Amino acid sequence: MIRAFHILKSNPLSLVGMILVLTITLCAVFAPLIAPFPDHNGAVVEFLNANKAPSAQNWMGTDLVGRDIFSRIIYAYQISLVLGVVVLAISTPIGTVVGLIAGYKGGWIETVLMRITDVFLSVPPLVLAIAMMGVLEPTLTNAMLAVTAMWWPWYARLVYNIARSEREEGYVLAAEVIGASSNHITFREILPNCLPAIITKMTLDMGFVIIIASSLSFLGLGVQPPTPDLGSMVAEGARYLPDSWWLSVFPGLAILLAVFGFNLLGDGLREILGVEE
Amino acid sequence: MKPNRLMIGAMLLASTTLASPVLAETVLRIDEVAVGELDPAKASDYADSILMFNVYDTLVLPKQGGPGHDGHLAESWTSDGSTYTFKLRDGVNFQSGNPLNAEDVVFSLERMQGIGQGLSYLFGGVKAEAVDDKTVTFTLESPYAPFVASLVRLPIVDKKLVMENLGDGEGEMKDWGQAFLSGNGAGTGAYTVKSHNPQEETVMAKNSTYFMDIIEAAPDTVRLRYGLEAATVRTLIAQGEHDIASQWLPPEVVTALAKDGAQLLTETGTGAFYFKMNTTKAPLDDVNCRLALSHAFDYNTAVQMIAITDDVSAGSPATGAIPVGMFGANGTEMVQAQSLDKAKEYLAACKYDAADMNIEVSWIAEVPLEERFALLMQANFQQLGIKSEIKKLPWALFAEQVSKPENTPHISQLFVNAVTGDPDTLLYGMYHSSTPGTWQSPEYLNDAQVDEYLDAGRTAFDDAGREEAYKKLNARLMEIAPTIYGFDRQSVFAASNRVKVPALSDPSKAFGLDGMGFSFRLMEMVE
Amino acid sequence: MTVAISRPPSPDNKPFGNFMSSILRLLWQRLVISVVVLIGVSMLIFVIARIIPGDPARIALGPNATAEQISNLRADLHLDEPIITQYGFFVADLFRGDLGISLYTNRPVTLDIAQFLPATLELVLIAGIFMVMIGLPLGVLSARFQNKWPDHLIRVISLVTVSAPSFVWAVIFMLLFAFYLPLFPIAGRLSDLYEIDRITGFLFIDTLIAGNFAAFGDAVRHIVLPALALALSGIGQAARLTRANMVETYKKPYIEMAQAYGFFPSRIANHYAFKPSLIPSLTIIGLDFAAMFGNAFLVEAVFAWPGLSRYGVAVILRKDLNAIMGTVLIIALAFVVVNIIVDLIIAFLNPRIRYSEKAKP
Repeated sequence: MIRAFHILKSNPLSLVGMILVLTITLCAVFAPLIAPFPDHNGAVVEFLNANKAPSAQNWMGTDLVGRDIFSRIIYAYQISLVLGVVVLAISTPIGTVVGLIAGYKGGWIETVLMRITDVFLSVPPLVLAIAMMGVLEPTLTNAMLAVTAMWWPWYARLVYNIARSEREEGYVLAAEVIGASSNHITFREILPNCLPAIITKMTLDMGFVIIIASSLSFLGLGVQPPTPDLGSMVAEGARYLPDSWWLSVFPGLAILLAVFGFNLLGDGLREILGVEE
Repeated sequence: MKPNRLMIGAMLLASTTLASPVLAETVLRIDEVAVGELDPAKASDYADSILMFNVYDTLVLPKQGGPGHDGHLAESWTSDGSTYTFKLRDGVNFQSGNPLNAEDVVFSLERMQGIGQGLSYLFGGVKAEAVDDKTVTFTLESPYAPFVASLVRLPIVDKKLVMENLGDGEGEMKDWGQAFLSGNGAGTGAYTVKSHNPQEETVMAKNSTYFMDIIEAAPDTVRLRYGLEAATVRTLIAQGEHDIASQWLPPEVVTALAKDGAQLLTETGTGAFYFKMNTTKAPLDDVNCRLALSHAFDYNTAVQMIAITDDVSAGSPATGAIPVGMFGANGTEMVQAQSLDKAKEYLAACKYDAADMNIEVSWIAEVPLEERFALLMQANFQQLGIKSEIKKLPWALFAEQVSKPENTPHISQLFVNAVTGDPDTLLYGMYHSSTPGTWQSPEYLNDAQVDEYLDAGRTAFDDAGREEAYKKLNARLMEIAPTIYGFDRQSVFAASNRVKVPALSDPSKAFGLDGMGFSFRLMEMVE
Repeated sequence: MTVAISRPPSPDNKPFGNFMSSILRLLWQRLVISVVVLIGVSMLIFVIARIIPGDPARIALGPNATAEQISNLRADLHLDEPIITQYGFFVADLFRGDLGISLYTNRPVTLDIAQFLPATLELVLIAGIFMVMIGLPLGVLSARFQNKWPDHLIRVISLVTVSAPSFVWAVIFMLLFAFYLPLFPIAGRLSDLYEIDRITGFLFIDTLIAGNFAAFGDAVRHIVLPALALALSGIGQAARLTRANMVETYKKPYIEMAQAYGFFPSRIANHYAFKPSLIPSLTIIGLDFAAMFGNAFLVEAVFAWPGLSRYGVAVILRKDLNAIMGTVLIIALAFVVVNIIVDLIIAFLNPRIRYSEKAKP
């Protein structure tokens, strides 16, 4: 803990990351209290106030039906964070279990599991998600499903590599000698040694999941209106460049800020936990 | 073309005149939504129509600035109600050099019916026969008053050229030349196809052997580009690299262009924007509930949303089911307006409880403007305490879903126009009980009176009779409210000042048929 | 994807033939895996695409089709057969180089792909060049000035660049360098002014074949912004990796010795530290490069780039099964080929792999 504090102090960038992530999370959680126009996350039409440039009343301008963009970005963070957390909460355990089993058991199980993993890793991640969303209905749940489907193999690969090297370590061999069950060895002995790498990757991945999810909705394959979503806000707004630049630039910067925060924090965690890149 | 121009150029150079401005080739650049379908038998949307009206000709053309039709490839015609006899113009050649004969007309009709796509449904039950080289007779199974109007959708194809280029396929006609005609022109039209890529661009050039005179100032080359982004078009026009934008630009972008000095071209009077209610699905199977929604809709805001400048708008307030300018249209005193009090009255009379309703409002993914109307409806329905859900559907999926009433959303947003300019082609497909479940008829309306008036509109042979039939139809449609009649649509095109398009700017030159205003031979390049 | 080293480097008595054979073995292994991967991908997409709601035949024929036309097309497409049989037809056609007809463009999918692929390849290749030519030098610079201000600056910039999806960069670049400062064209691959015969489909080559240097310059101006937007996060990633690996290398005794001998820092950086640091970065750079085939979807959408990705999105929205399959397969193929090439480059650069007998992927 003290070491962590020192590293954070000596590495002001990760501190910035921490603050960014905390701010964004708090904004998202308390969106109804923070957003200047909380009802603008839904179907509100204020035609007379439509498509207005940033002003004292609407800091980031208004969209084409007159909703406050700043308020909508705060609500969009809710969606992004929930999506990120759900995707990682599902894909990390799946990937970890697959990786652990393949890495520790070896043999044909290893071959089968890792070849399947390779198949998933061999398509550009976005293409797989796009192809899946192309055939599914564009909803939040399906977007989560598509991103999860392409995400677990990365954890499988990561944990597999660690587990394979840990397999040969003395403490594992010792546990085998005293007759510990393979479940015990995989989950009680090997898994804890994978945790720092997993936690670091999860932090960094929050950013990447946000990027992938926003890319899906940018292509019209993600969350549907009137639910605010950063990717679709950029996509919709880009049609009105250069005149109504605020429609696309602010949501774009919002993505940048959130992902930047998670990346800074992840970099810091990597140093604190001593994980190699 | 090319050697000629070179030779003239050489001659002028030799005589050292300052002729380069005269020689400069004029290029008109326009854009539309992808895909551009070049095969005239499959033409259905606006891009296809632009191609068809320029590469091919039809027997008749709508009169400019008024009702009725003039001969075009046909010199004259006679009719006794169920047979029509057309006399073809002499000395017309196809772009291939083949002369136009009555056989070509018969072939064009049979080809359209044989392929069965596009607007071929207009010609169901029609038979054609070549009486002699220049005379052709159409026989109709049942009387159809607006038949002559339909002929603007029968482009005449070069039979000889197509038969020489049949592709693989079964039967005598193999593929009807579809493979060939999807990439090549085979018409008499004022413009020839130089290159065609259905997703990127079609390049067309003036046909030097056209049977009519083409004005000197008409563009030498036309580039029709597909699928340009709004922001791209907006900048290209501002930079002088594009001439006429498609009507699908969002109103804000058109407004921005108009502020920069672009001219606004308009095309009016053949269609309307409708919010269609699925009359087979609860709670919209109750007429009171439909009337409640119709009265809750904020027509005024909807029209404001599509305003472009103070005096140009992409639509005008609807006065009923039939757009102003057509048979049976109501006067402006009938302009639709929101009335929440009436809406509440109707809702109280509805057999369903407002609290249990969840109205599915769909919008077509390709038309982002519709998202705003969906939001507007959602907000309006909220005022009645009715919940609703917005659903974005790509066009292809929408067309598939409406084929079954149970899959059809509660509300579908559609811009429908009369493909031949006649009200029959607007209304029959939408409301007759014999044509349910097409993209035009997600209402699944089944009403004996509506059917009766629609049929009367087809068989009444004088204009007064048709006016009366459509007047009654309009009244009935207002009574049973299968649709929220949003607004009468006007297509607005932002354009550079390099081009003059009388057919789209001067009401006395307007055709009253969607896409016909894009006859390049009537445009003038200024420079 | 990393290359495991199973034996310590052998003394220099191994003949060159051994090197070639180990490279060939590596190539062979990668090819076998690639084929497995491509089969897996095709089955995955095939199954997903067949279980979706919506009848592709009806979608293709449009709203006015009759029931008979639909059932005819369903029969033509084998849609009524069991899914295994359908896959069999698909594979059989594939071996004849036939990916079927796109229901969206009414043309053979192979023709569509042949038309759109060069634009995407050109874009991705140029973006890849940007990634390497800008990313690596930035990483070297950053490592050389470790913990000094150029290092901090480069690290922050590269972290910012990896923090936004390419479409955000595309929008920002477009606004800044095409609208406000009209330095570059906003869309497309070539101005209308130039008519170039599309012989190869690669405009850089076609304009040169035509000997039209003005058109070549125009094509270059068109590709700068999209390629940069596509490459930006890769540039940041490459810089970060190169820096991290070089910092590790700087700790090696031979570098410390070189420093002790008083070699110029630039000489140490370029000659001694760079190459060993490059090898571990290359795998990831290769992956990033290949991932651009996916991200091109986003950039092409903003810049109206007439490439495969725009086609891909269009056919996905229309549930055009043949075209979806063709597009995904061709992108997976490109991805796999790039990975093999990267592995081979690493093998050539890395003496330990070059001389190891068992190069296991």
